[in-house]
Amino acid sequence: MSALLPLHLGHIGLLSILRKLKSAPDQEVRILLLGLDNAGKTTLLKQLASEDISHITPTQGFNIKSVQSQGFKLNVWDIGGQRKIRPYWRNYFENTDILIYVIDSADRKRFEETGQELAELLEEEKLSCVPVLIFANKQDLLTAAPASEIAEGLNLHTIRDRVWQIQSCSALTGEGVQDGMNWVCKNVNAKKK
Amino acid sequence: MGCFFSKRRKAEKESQPEGEEERPKQYSWDQREKVDPKDYMFSGLKDETVGRLPGQVAGQQFLIQDCENCNIYIFDHSATVTIDDCANCVIFLGPVKGSVFFRNCRDCKCTLACQQFRVRDCRKLEVFLCCATQPIIESSTNIRFGCFQWYYPELALQFKDAGLSIFNNTWSNIHDFTPVSGELNWSLLPEGAVVQDHVPLPATEELKAVRISTEANRSIVPVSRGQRPKNSDESCLVVLFAGDYTIANARKLIDEMVGKGFFLVQTKEVSMKAEDAQRVFGEKAPDFLPLLSKGPVIALEFSGDGAVEGCHLIVNEIFNGTKMFVSESKETASGDVDSFYNFADIQMGI
Repeated sequence: MSALLPLHLGHIGLLSILRKLKSAPDQEVRILLLGLDNAGKTTLLKQLASEDISHITPTQGFNIKSVQSQGFKLNVWDIGGQRKIRPYWRNYFENTDILIYVIDSADRKRFEETGQELAELLEEEKLSCVPVLIFANKQDLLTAAPASEIAEGLNLHTIRDRVWQIQSCSALTGEGVQDGMNWVCKNVNAKKK
Repeated sequence: MGCFFSKRRKAEKESQPEGEEERPKQYSWDQREKVDPKDYMFSGLKDETVGRLPGQVAGQQFLIQDCENCNIYIFDHSATVTIDDCANCVIFLGPVKGSVFFRNCRDCKCTLACQQFRVRDCRKLEVFLCCATQPIIESSTNIRFGCFQWYYPELALQFKDAGLSIFNNTWSNIHDFTPVSGELNWSLLPEGAVVQDHVPLPATEELKAVRISTEANRSIVPVSRGQRPKNSDESCLVVLFAGDYTIANARKLIDEMVGKGFFLVQTKEVSMKAEDAQRVFGEKAPDFLPLLSKGPVIALEFSGDGAVEGCHLIVNEIFNGTKMFVSESKETASGDVDSFYNFADIQMGI
């Protein structure tokens, strides 16, 4: 058997090969994609699935896609973010492995509102200890605030009860998205009990 | 499997100090030329007429905020536009690649084209709209919609630059996130509404340089009835295939049909695959299969008593030789229309 396994592969590669040899399924990861309306959540979802992003409708309910990535099967739940339907977010909290929170970095008028929503999410019992990736999205736009400024404005450094990361990106062009997802894959099992 | 894992980095217990990546990575936004945001914003204006000429926005983000009694004209394509806390304004927005979002506005009259149209906490807006997806409103009242109707020479190319099709316009079916039982927070502007009574042309010398027409038959976006109540139960589906003159042909056919008293209900520009063609064209499919790979098709839905016969007459007279699909009869036409939208809605949905 060992002759078949290239020695230079990282452990993730070996693991997924072994899984396939044993016909064991990839680990399924439940990802919840939240953020204000117009943040770019659905564009991000389509980008992750390598689909066309030029014709996207405001989400009325939710969208789900499954994406294979780095040996994991990511089940991504993209939930509509209008103010009226945010109370429904809690219906999707259970069993979340990773929370991805998307911010429109170029909508400074709503920084306070998005900060408020994120703060409330981080207080939720059903999301306790769940790793959170904050995408500072829409970096392609003229007035986009850099991730450092957003991190400061949101007081991310005060998060103590879970692992977190902020990643600047443009869901439209794809830049920065993979870097964020690399962090996700590395922290899939980092949910502190 | 534990023996395959290297030890977890100690750093994962707590997160990065500055909240940034371990090694500072350079992205395109770190390296691009700095642009002055003030050139792409109208803020705190009162009783003014202001605007941007073709070429002056060139796909950047634009902000409009805290304006009162102003006439604002953006005669160029942009990335996305937010309009905040404006009252009594007239606003024209050239094609917007992403979303147009009105927040806390009242008494504004607008003409605009975009991929997404969003409204929150607004009252009394009138919008002549071209929107590629379903427009949405939230916590708003008295929002009225009509079809985009505007022309200036640079506009056609601006639609292309913004990635918008003039044939994809769902302006009349609005989703309300906060419906009130017994009332409607939105409605359609009367069919005969004169655009310039709502959105007047700019009066300043600089902006007058843009050669505008608001005549329905000159509109870059074909004026469609959308969800307006149908006045006939006869419809007719026409599908044109990609080629050098497709758009010109579509416009010509629309002009001829409207000229004869028929109505344009809806248009769509969408890519079709062989399986879709089978479902929509039935036994006629083999005629059209080779044409699908050249590019997206343009579908036109007409209505009016005698529309099918009227359409066949025009097509035979003017488009002899150009392959296009036209509904066979009044009886099969509604099936054609349903089949087409069933496929198109799936194709264009998430």
